[in-house]
Amino acid sequence: MIVRTGLTGPFPRSEALVSATRDLDRGRTSAEAVEELFERTEKEIVALERRLGFDETTGGYLRWQDLYRPFAETWEGFTVGPLTRWLETNTFYRQPILLAPPGRTPGAIAARLPPPLRTAPGSARVVLPGPYSFSVMLENRSGETEPALIHRLGRLLGEEVKELRGLGFSTFLFSEPQLVVRPPEGPRAEAVIAGYRAIGTGLDGGTSIVWTYGADALPAFPLLDRLPVSVVGVDLAETEVEHLPAGPSRVGLGLGVVDPRTTLEEDPAEVARVVRAAQTRRHPSAIWLGPGAPLDLLPWEPATRKLHVLPAVRRALTEGSP
Amino acid sequence: MTRGLFPTQEIGSLAKPRWQILGQRSEALDAPAKEELANWDTRVGFAADARQVRDALLGGRPKDTSPDAVRDLGALFGLRFLETVGLDRVYDGEARRIEMYEYPIRQMRGFRFGGHVRSWDNKYYLKATVTDEVRLDHPYHVEEFDFVQRHARAEPKLPITGPYTLADWSYNEHYLARQPGWKGRAARRAAQKEFVVDIARRAIRPTLSALIDHGCRVIQIDEPAAGTHPDEAGIVVDGFNAATEGLDAEFTMHICYSNYADLLPTLLEAKRCRQWAWEFANRDSEGHDGYAVLKVLAEYGDTRDVGLGAVDVHRDTVETPEVVADRIRRAAKYLGDPNRIWVNPDCGLRTRSLSVARAKLESVVKGAALARADFENPRR
Repeated sequence: MIVRTGLTGPFPRSEALVSATRDLDRGRTSAEAVEELFERTEKEIVALERRLGFDETTGGYLRWQDLYRPFAETWEGFTVGPLTRWLETNTFYRQPILLAPPGRTPGAIAARLPPPLRTAPGSARVVLPGPYSFSVMLENRSGETEPALIHRLGRLLGEEVKELRGLGFSTFLFSEPQLVVRPPEGPRAEAVIAGYRAIGTGLDGGTSIVWTYGADALPAFPLLDRLPVSVVGVDLAETEVEHLPAGPSRVGLGLGVVDPRTTLEEDPAEVARVVRAAQTRRHPSAIWLGPGAPLDLLPWEPATRKLHVLPAVRRALTEGSP
Repeated sequence: MTRGLFPTQEIGSLAKPRWQILGQRSEALDAPAKEELANWDTRVGFAADARQVRDALLGGRPKDTSPDAVRDLGALFGLRFLETVGLDRVYDGEARRIEMYEYPIRQMRGFRFGGHVRSWDNKYYLKATVTDEVRLDHPYHVEEFDFVQRHARAEPKLPITGPYTLADWSYNEHYLARQPGWKGRAARRAAQKEFVVDIARRAIRPTLSALIDHGCRVIQIDEPAAGTHPDEAGIVVDGFNAATEGLDAEFTMHICYSNYADLLPTLLEAKRCRQWAWEFANRDSEGHDGYAVLKVLAEYGDTRDVGLGAVDVHRDTVETPEVVADRIRRAAKYLGDPNRIWVNPDCGLRTRSLSVARAKLESVVKGAALARADFENPRR
């Protein structure tokens, strides 16, 4: 069984970064001091990811205030809107407001990727918003229909991927909670497929991962199975393995096996049992293990602790222990 | 107590005055803080019973008083601020509270705080993990209620964070670990229910009981998390019913920023809830009637009172009394009974300046009076 591991979204800020960014807002420290701490902490996360044997590194995306902010701040047509609840959590993001058809700004997103990724793009995992969730999470005042917007965002993200491929990046994870929270149907579903097809044109042999979370993925599987991507991930805190559609699956199966909604550590043996059951049902080309939802729903210490379950599960699956 | 139509009430916290923040730190007041203290004392007359504290703060001698005395003055300010607007039910603006989660959790055993979680941008909050069975150290909010009761001229109404919200904003380790096998959806739901009911029975109910013993008659149970998981409305109800079981007081439930229709009819099983205090004004705009959801309550035949959010706490624009009156009229039409309506802000006004909060509350009181006049003298 081919088993790959890695983060699926932002990592929490360390307690030192929490203090430093608070102090920055209160004028008690300098931007340079905070920048230095960001750099040090990103390197620490990359080192942790390597130590745990992850197949790609992310650097934690610590500077991104939320997944959509770099786009809302740099792409044409957007402005940064009001605080809005992030799915079913007690955390918030600033809702992008789309005032006109969007356009990307070349180089802007690449410049905002964590610096350690930019120096080693070949081993990096780029985390980007998926076009469907992006379209749902923004407020659309552009006049564009929803299907047209989904497709357009897919095309723009495809151009982003193409540019990043040119810089040496090859693995791209698209965060798509809304695919399972509010599964699209009809023209919107077709637009999602067209959007990912557009993303695929920029991929040039790279890997595309669609990662869903926040709700049971089963109702969305008819669409998920049609997506032209390399891997589809589901959150096992929400989705019951025994009901996964039977395989064989033509793509890799992502399994969110670390739950950031609780500090309770997962039991590697129990996780391995569930992963084997999923593998038996779907017969995927490979299994991709990661946190079900972004780990920044946890503080730094429990998030770090819980990540250790991933190599333990991989060992159990590939070496037959524990 | 006999009341006319559309009595008015507060819902939650006010912004802390600068003089209170500095004074509690025993720091000398700067010029804006002194001006704020003097001006509001002139407007609402809150310092008459605490001249020594006021004079120490205004005289630049914070060490001549104590943080506790400054906090008491803050509570008096909140109380008079709300009373002098003309509200029928008041509290102290939650002058002694910093937030609504950490303080109650720290009065309980079984929790461990393990670090900060980002709320948004560079804002964070401490989130606790429940690691053992919940136990209450001692009932809380009792001393602050005693103070309010001693000084209140209007009817006091105490707000308290509800069991579902306290559980939802915590990590569930202890109760989840007791679930056998894979910790998926079903296990999480079962563990959440146990956790909520345990907080309700072991911590909230004894606290409510103590408050009632001290004379508290009106208690608002705040459940802002209720709307984030509509499929757990049944657990919200279980928590409410367990917290209030066998207790005799007027209980209200405050929920905000939710799609209430998704919580119904399950929520209606909250047996001892006598009033739904919900936010509406935030979603009321030209082309969208934010009060139409009340029709759903009428359709289910629910006859409880409604605490009608009539001003938006997230905008500085102050609604006119006429706007408030129009909202009340619409609500009365949808409910089919004007006698069931209390009028209040959508939620606590702590994110607004004191001046804006005051203006919004004035509109609440004046708007209720306008609507009352309409109903009492329909041909006028």
